[in-house]
Amino acid sequence: MTRTRILVVDDEPQILRALETNLRGAGYEVDTAATAEEARTAAALGKPDAVILDLVLPDGSGTAVCRELRRWSTAPVIVLSVVGDQQEKVAALDAGADDYVTKPFGMDELLARLRAALRRAAPSGEPLVRVGELEVDLEKRSVSLAGRAVALTPNEFRLLSLLAQNEGKLMTHQTILREVWGPAYGDESHYLHVYVSQLRRKIEPDPTRPRYLLTEPGAGYRLVAPS
Amino acid sequence: MHNRGLAHHVAGAAAGVTAVAATTGLVFALKPVAPVLSLGVLYLLAVVPIAVVWGIPHAFGVSVASMLAFNFFFLPPVHSFALRNSENWVALAVYLVTGVVVAELAARSRRRAAEAELRAQEAAFVADLAARLLESGEVQRELRAIASRLAEVLGASRAWIELDSLRQPEADETVYELTIGNRKVGRLYIDAGARVDPAAAERLAPALASLLAVTSDRERLARRAVEAETLRRSDAVKTAILRAVSHDLRSPLTAIRAAAEGLQSGSFELGPDDQAALLATIGLETGRLDRLVSNLLDLSLLESGTATPRPEVWTLDGLVGRALDALGADAARVHVALPPEPAAVRVDGAQIERVLVNLLENALRIGESVEIGGGEAGDEALLRVLDDGPGLDERDLERIFDPFERGRAPSGRGSGLGLAIARGFAQANGCRLWAESPPGAGAVFVLALPRVEVPAAVTA
Repeated sequence: MTRTRILVVDDEPQILRALETNLRGAGYEVDTAATAEEARTAAALGKPDAVILDLVLPDGSGTAVCRELRRWSTAPVIVLSVVGDQQEKVAALDAGADDYVTKPFGMDELLARLRAALRRAAPSGEPLVRVGELEVDLEKRSVSLAGRAVALTPNEFRLLSLLAQNEGKLMTHQTILREVWGPAYGDESHYLHVYVSQLRRKIEPDPTRPRYLLTEPGAGYRLVAPS
Repeated sequence: MHNRGLAHHVAGAAAGVTAVAATTGLVFALKPVAPVLSLGVLYLLAVVPIAVVWGIPHAFGVSVASMLAFNFFFLPPVHSFALRNSENWVALAVYLVTGVVVAELAARSRRRAAEAELRAQEAAFVADLAARLLESGEVQRELRAIASRLAEVLGASRAWIELDSLRQPEADETVYELTIGNRKVGRLYIDAGARVDPAAAERLAPALASLLAVTSDRERLARRAVEAETLRRSDAVKTAILRAVSHDLRSPLTAIRAAAEGLQSGSFELGPDDQAALLATIGLETGRLDRLVSNLLDLSLLESGTATPRPEVWTLDGLVGRALDALGADAARVHVALPPEPAAVRVDGAQIERVLVNLLENALRIGESVEIGGGEAGDEALLRVLDDGPGLDERDLERIFDPFERGRAPSGRGSGLGLAIARGFAQANGCRLWAESPPGAGAVFVLALPRVEVPAAVTA
């Protein structure tokens, strides 16, 4: 069986070396690239299973690389961002990146994100989605937590089912608004964070320490099975 | 203007005729009681007022008319301009000359009085101008008031003063250059329709120019002094920041370096416990460095005024949740006591997260357990961070928000930036942040956030 192949793109040699060493240690095959140009070539030749992509490259932005990659590849892309370039991070996510980690990140965190991204399959089409003790029945439009029914408003249900169908995946604010309220989302969308808070009060044992519905600051939300 | 002049002359002529007629009537009335020749002097009563009000040409006309009227009505043969006695010619000539001389004297004294009044007005204007400019020190702000006073003094309907002006005068404006020697200070534009005495404008222009020049010079110097002072102060602040920060950066770097070299070195034996301890040090100290760097970034954003908030509607529990998540492992020591339906507020989520994280970190450094509670007061939602430490002195309640003020923190912990940043972000978001210290309890930090109503459609 061939090993999973990861392409790492970063122009900082020390970071590239550290990532390469750690990923090899974790059992992955690793290609590296230091520029956007090298990244395009390496992606075309190596057909990576996942890409770890720095957003700032000497000859262009990681967002552009991500957009091109999406035209022909479904390999998950995890972008490396730094504090303060929130907009670039969101742009990359909207351009098709699957997830991000913020520098300086812990290796454990990156590996966990990478495993989750590789594991994630396309939505199964099953009418019943299970996330931890949470069950979302898309047909009957019902939700239960540890076997007990939870009453949700229609908007809360649409929000939860979108997140549940994309379990583990970071859903950007824009994606959520478009999917839940339609492309011409209106005034109610100003209250996305309010909807999330209301939903948490119904499905989280402690809404201020959410275990299912996690906030990704400045980017979006994701639904995970509690560890 | 032409019309006005004509009306003036018509009025003068009418007044002259009236005066002569009235005086003639008076002479008729007095003729039975006095020699008629001596009554001729009464015509001066007609000449002098006309001279004073309408000037010499009118007075001369009134003089001649008076002479003719006196001759016609009173000197024999009456009702004819012929004269019987030659001495009557002498009397008439005396009247004429006296009339003209008196008229001239009267008109001249009147001109003097008018001129004196004008000069007095001009002097008052200059004094007022000087006082105004020297007091206020802001030339631009006073220009409009000065111009309208000037228009009043010159008898113009409008006047404008423009400093460093280059614009061409409009068709209905007369322009006067305000200069001192070769230096052009500005321009004075006067409404061309006004009957302005050019001599008065010429007299006032130099005084105006020199006062404006002195004041704007003074203003420029003051501005430069303020700029220099600001620069000097911000340099001093930067030096203080650099000094404090380089200490704060060096200590974790030293710890990391020592731990890494200890792990690398083959010269001494390290047990697995020692190795684990060194690795833990590296992890802990990089975390500290990371927090310090993001605090500095926050501070520089706040100082440069680029921390523009992007307000969105959040609920109190949503904001507290973000802060607890960002706090990491320490969040376990925070007790949350929010109402079941926490209020919604309009703020920048990321910035208020920094405020809460900094407040909680500060409280966790001082106390064993920390509580965060919530409530509402008027149009504000409140979040309260309570610690169980020793509380604050009255005089520290404000001071602890100053940068590099370490307050109650044990030395070596905390950079002294956290509360300053918290207050900076709170204010940028229209929130208020203050400290309280109720007797017999720890410190309480209160964050008041602008509350918003959530439409019923959202909650249903």
